[in-house]
Amino acid sequence: MSKLLIVIPAHNEEANIVQVVEELTRSYPQYDYVVVNDGSRDKTAALCRAHGYRLIDLPVNLGLAGAFQTGLRFAAENGYDCAMQMDADGQHKPEYIAPMLAALEEGNDIVIGSRFLTVKKPKTLRMLGSYIISWSIRLTTGRAICDPTSGMRMFNRAMVEEFAQNLNYGPEPDTISYLIKNGATVKEVQVEMGERLAGQSYLTFWRSVQYMVKMSISILLIQWFRKRDTETPYPERSL
Amino acid sequence: MFDQTLIRVCLILGSFITAGYILRRVRHAKVQIEDTIFWLMFSAALLILAIFPGIAYWAANLLGFMSPINFVYVVIIFLLLAKQFFMSIKLSQLDSKVRILTEQVALNEEKAERDKLDL
Repeated sequence: MSKLLIVIPAHNEEANIVQVVEELTRSYPQYDYVVVNDGSRDKTAALCRAHGYRLIDLPVNLGLAGAFQTGLRFAAENGYDCAMQMDADGQHKPEYIAPMLAALEEGNDIVIGSRFLTVKKPKTLRMLGSYIISWSIRLTTGRAICDPTSGMRMFNRAMVEEFAQNLNYGPEPDTISYLIKNGATVKEVQVEMGERLAGQSYLTFWRSVQYMVKMSISILLIQWFRKRDTETPYPERSL
Repeated sequence: MFDQTLIRVCLILGSFITAGYILRRVRHAKVQIEDTIFWLMFSAALLILAIFPGIAYWAANLLGFMSPINFVYVVIIFLLLAKQFFMSIKLSQLDSKVRILTEQVALNEEKAERDKLDL
């Protein structure tokens, strides 16, 4: 079995983090995990230390992309074969890790835990953004990604290294579309997701609109101009 | 006046140079994608104003400007001021992050040295 690292980015998740990690370690002790505390202002880091969880504590807030990249750098440096993102709010259920890992071992580069592979995507305002991103990816790559905004994604070793070293590799749908265009194989696996256990979601209405505009412009326009460079190591490229 | 082709050609050129330059930076992975969105929208705005001068005529008339080109200037000044404002905020945040990081590094260093002395 491949050595898997589960990266749990956590920003102000004191209400959920203990329950999420406890469930993971109790039911699935065979997987390694690391909590990346993204400069939380609440007791997230203190709770992790008190319970003895494996923790990377970022001294400043970097945002999801930075927190996740930290986890992937940890995975790359410590010889993991693959890594996945798991939200700290309890939406991602650990029972779907095994089928996703199986799909990755079939030879896929990226496996997405998808809510809408066999289930119909509801036609609600909340899902409008997901529809637009799906259409954009379909239009630019020809591939159907049913649940592009799902945060439950698993990456193989090559992807982990690429994500860990490069700029503009946020764990977002635009990176997925860019990688599909560059020949990465992406597979979706049907999963079920819960509601967040407690606390407020980061995505307010206005932030969702901003996110959508950014993703659409990025997928439809900007990704065409990117050049893939996996040869030059990061420190040798200057910004 | 504003329908002089030269001004419109300049606006179109400016728009394409802006977009071309920023997309080149993306191509070579020298800029983060979220920081390019503003410049792409800015160049789109210039392009629209150049292609449809009617917008400037209509808005100048509505706001009582002497000349439609003044409306174009106002739009550009407004966009750049707004950008400047948000950059100020971002810079201030970056400044405080660098400060916190430097403090953290120094504290870690001190701790490491103290541990070494204790041994």
